[in-house]
Amino acid sequence: MNLLDLALVVMTLSLIPCLYRIAFGPTIADRVVGLDALTLVIVVILGAYSYVQESSFFLDAALVMAIIGFIGTIAIARYLEEGEIF
Amino acid sequence: MKQYIAYALILGLVWSFVSGDISVLNFVIGSILGLLIVRSLEKLYRPDKDMTFRSITEHLPKLVVYFAVLLIEITKASVQMARIILSPRMDIRPGIVAVPIRATKDASITAIANTISLTPGTLTVDVSDDLTKLYVHAIDVSEPEALRHSIRDKLEKYVLEAFE
Amino acid sequence: MLSTVIEVASNIFFLIGILFVFVGMVGLLRLPDVYNRLHATTKIATLGAFGVMIAITVKTGFSTMGLKAIMVGIFLILTAPVAAHIIARAAHRSGTKLWTGSVADEYAEDCAAKKDELNCDPDKKL
Repeated sequence: MNLLDLALVVMTLSLIPCLYRIAFGPTIADRVVGLDALTLVIVVILGAYSYVQESSFFLDAALVMAIIGFIGTIAIARYLEEGEIF
Repeated sequence: MKQYIAYALILGLVWSFVSGDISVLNFVIGSILGLLIVRSLEKLYRPDKDMTFRSITEHLPKLVVYFAVLLIEITKASVQMARIILSPRMDIRPGIVAVPIRATKDASITAIANTISLTPGTLTVDVSDDLTKLYVHAIDVSEPEALRHSIRDKLEKYVLEAFE
Repeated sequence: MLSTVIEVASNIFFLIGILFVFVGMVGLLRLPDVYNRLHATTKIATLGAFGVMIAITVKTGFSTMGLKAIMVGIFLILTAPVAAHIIARAAHRSGTKLWTGSVADEYAEDCAAKKDELNCDPDKKL
């Protein structure tokens, strides 16, 4: 079992709580937290790929993913709070 | 004018990091693009009128100390939270506490709020309308006074030195 | 010799990062309410992601990859508290209750004093 396999197995296991929260979270805020955590796990998976294969292409995707996750979280939270985004 | 150049230089540094090539030419290209962005998106933020290059260079060592303290606190926070999460019966007493703060500038209030969120067992929920209190959610509020005391004396000192 | 040290150090950073992300997600599953779950994802999982990015930088030095990785890590550390703050505030204002074992809620008391401005009706259902 090499490093990439280990990392992917652990990260796949950590996706389960996020998906559980998104599906069964008692409130909408729980679902937002789950989505935020899901983005973070995907960023870490992309980081693990680029760490093992030593290519920087995945890191561009990771940066874009982090930015989109942040903006999406803020948009949903603002909608939840005020009923409108802008 | 000075603050535009300072912001543009910061954006130039970010450009060099994101494009993955630190050279003088790349930094200059990034700074010119940064100047365009800073000038054209001026309406979206409030430029700091008091900022001078002298104040930046004076604050730089304190900023370094602040980031070192922040990194140590984040590591401590994570180990403490990991212990709470992995303990079999979860012994937590959460709650929201109002913490008075001394900072007045927007930048330092933001820095304090973010620092509180990243340090052991505390999370900023909101700031009061008159900017004098932070509402902090804490994992363990059996002693609210001790919590207020630790935030005021341990964290706010470094932030005030670095940002005001 | 030096390359071995770098290899071992970066692998240690990488494994610690992966472990912290996993522990954070376990916290997301186990902790009782939204605010406590935010504690887990904001602190532990962010530090884990930062650890993975630091591992990339340690392994490749200040190359194209290392610089991009450190940028991703700094971005995550800067945005995680902001996202946590805005989710917590939105949850509180939209009426999500604290866990029943909570000790104090001074925010709700101050909200009740000026209900019109802050729009935090505790009876509002989602």
